[in-house]
Amino acid sequence: MGIAARVERFVAMGTRIELHVFGVGSEDALVAARRAIEGVDDALTIHRPSPTTALNDELLAGHSVAIDDPVLAEALIAIDAAHALTEGLFDPAADRRFAGAGWGDLVFDRSSARIAATRPLALDFGGFGKGFALDRACAALRDAGVVCACLSAGESSIAVIGEHPLGGGWPFAIPDPSRTDAVLVEVELVDEALSISTTVGAGTQAPERAAMIRPTDGGIVTAARCTVAIDRTGGAAEAMSTALLVADAARARRLLDAAPAQRFLYDLSKAAARTDDTARMQAA
Amino acid sequence: MTDKDFNLSRRSFIDRVLTATAGAGMATAAPWAVSAASAAAGAEPVKSNPVRLGVIGTGDRGRALIQNIAKSRNCTVVAICDSYAPNLVKAQQWAPTARRFADHREMLDARGIDAVVIATPLDTHAKLCFDAFDAGLHVWCEKAMARTIADCGAMITHAKAAGKILQIGHQRMFHPTYLNALKRARAGEIGTLTQIRASWHRNNAWRRAVPADANDRQINWRLYRDRSAGLMTELATHQLQVGNWFLDAVPTRVIGSGSICFWKDGREVYDHVALIYEYSGGRKLIYTSLLNNARYGCEEQIQGSKGTIEPELGRIYQEVPAKVLALQRMHKDVARGHKRTVPIGGATWFPELPVTTPGESLGWGEYDETMLQFEGFGEAVRAGKPLPGLLRQAYQASVASLLGEQAMDQNQAMTWPTNLVAI
Ligand SMILES: NC(=O)c1ccc[n+]([C@@H]2O[C@H](COP(=O)([O-])OP(=O)(O)OC[C@H]3O[C@@H](n4cnc5c(N)ncnc54)[C@H](O)[C@@H]3O)[C@@H](O)[C@H]2O)c1
Repeated sequence: MGIAARVERFVAMGTRIELHVFGVGSEDALVAARRAIEGVDDALTIHRPSPTTALNDELLAGHSVAIDDPVLAEALIAIDAAHALTEGLFDPAADRRFAGAGWGDLVFDRSSARIAATRPLALDFGGFGKGFALDRACAALRDAGVVCACLSAGESSIAVIGEHPLGGGWPFAIPDPSRTDAVLVEVELVDEALSISTTVGAGTQAPERAAMIRPTDGGIVTAARCTVAIDRTGGAAEAMSTALLVADAARARRLLDAAPAQRFLYDLSKAAARTDDTARMQAA
Repeated sequence: MTDKDFNLSRRSFIDRVLTATAGAGMATAAPWAVSAASAAAGAEPVKSNPVRLGVIGTGDRGRALIQNIAKSRNCTVVAICDSYAPNLVKAQQWAPTARRFADHREMLDARGIDAVVIATPLDTHAKLCFDAFDAGLHVWCEKAMARTIADCGAMITHAKAAGKILQIGHQRMFHPTYLNALKRARAGEIGTLTQIRASWHRNNAWRRAVPADANDRQINWRLYRDRSAGLMTELATHQLQVGNWFLDAVPTRVIGSGSICFWKDGREVYDHVALIYEYSGGRKLIYTSLLNNARYGCEEQIQGSKGTIEPELGRIYQEVPAKVLALQRMHKDVARGHKRTVPIGGATWFPELPVTTPGESLGWGEYDETMLQFEGFGEAVRAGKPLPGLLRQAYQASVASLLGEQAMDQNQAMTWPTNLVAI
């Protein structure tokens, strides 16, 4: 007997999203999950007017702001935790235009949902948004009775609900972005999220892709690295893979040692990035 | 078709219009259609005291209009007029009891009509329209309004001064598929609209055979510059109206290039036009019309961040990303009870070929939108109040088509005129 499977594919957060649900779950589960992701996109985007661009306008003007958008408020709480988890290396307030500015310049009161900046800065949630959106989508699916699902946002962010439909963990292999056919690591997920970040490979050459900023000195990260992080939430996994990408050797060691089965860092500086045929093709 | 069958199809057509216009924001987006359809839904079953129409111009379009007017419940053709006798004769079968005239002034003088319908060559619209208003009559006139922007405005000024209705023929504004498309676009289904790519492509000379008793200027008036702006006024007007309507704005500027590229047969108007109409916020309508390739036909591709609408085909398409191959394989594996590692996170490449998904139907069919235009007109004449919003759309579409012609003729960007008549 086959396992009932349903799929929803769409574009959001600037990437392609796939939601695969297996087995039980109400009729409208996928629609609810899709709406959840689109809701995060609407709240966190800086590419069109949104609660986040409104917040940035206020922060740049030096005002203190009450966050009334519930999705943005929840994201800020998650970011505050992720910032702490990554020793401050994940920093959505790091911006080359304002060298030295960062999350530490923000005063965020969780209980009143008020935020103020001690110097002009602006927030850019970047990849964190994708993981956070998958978290909200997983919550919507669970609310709809789903117990088995695999969600992907642009292939670099994955979240799973429950075990694989055939039992056990969901097995994923992370390919080496600099060498076709080579695998960096194989992992198994159960009720977890996975995030992959890299400075190498075709996707990184997309012209619209923002450079990765190192919050410690505001510089652009150029080291050839690929990082992988697994966590209970997509938001935390994104924050960690980003942090590992920008971390110096000592910090990277500390973060890796704290969870060796969930955090991976690969130095790809020796392998040349392949760029053949890129002109004709488009990155995912 | 029997009367009973027609009543049924009429009812289902009007129901479709009512359904399409019954959405949030539709009362402001298509108020003319809301008015016309709700009046039509409550219309009396037979023509009691209909609005009496005199049709000027019984060429191809005029005859089609007469047949549509016959279907309406509140209008009737009591007079027909054409300066070219063979066309008047051809029209007779559709309006056997109507009085016939060779000169429109005789028809106006003979009285007995409430409104005129103008379906003559473009350069004659304004004058015929002024004469009708001067005779105290209402006017229904085919698109485009007039040969010049100034005359389009003058038609409106005259209507206002005479206190009469002026309605312009834009059947797409009453078409259930278009209304449905607009409703779904307004509901956000195709995301933020940034571009409309519209085309009217044909593969024929657009030239009619000239009978022995007529001359070329008379029959092929579309190909003469003083009579018509060619593709712009005869075809593009429809699509420019659709563009303004869906983008909910008028263009700020237009650039364009026109040429006589293929049919070098002595015609004066372009057989090939390409224009870009710019709208606020960087939005664009890209328009092409040509007469030597019909593959892409007549269409407006309304493009948003989440989807596309093609109203002529009657379809709406979602933006569907290519499938993630590894996840698709996982899916198939599960279906056959097989568990394999899923390679993920590598850069996925795919060539950017056109997407050919079938999309979803917006409803399509042979509708009676031209009949509904007249029922709306009949209602407007009786109430002494024009269908709301319609004339503005028509005026802006005609101005856009003529401004496009200027941009091509002068080979320079033309900004939207600031001295248009207020409606
Ligand atoms: N809405 C539409 O889809 C649509 C389609 C076709 C045409 N039209 C419009 O209809 C109008 C007519 O187009 P057509 O294709 O029927 O052209 P046509 O040449 O077939 O018919 C025009 C008729 O008007 C007559 N005429 C010319 N001057 C006259 C005058 N002063 N008095 C009386 N009769 C006169 C001609 O003899 C001819 O019979 C144009 O404005 C055109 O843009 C609209």
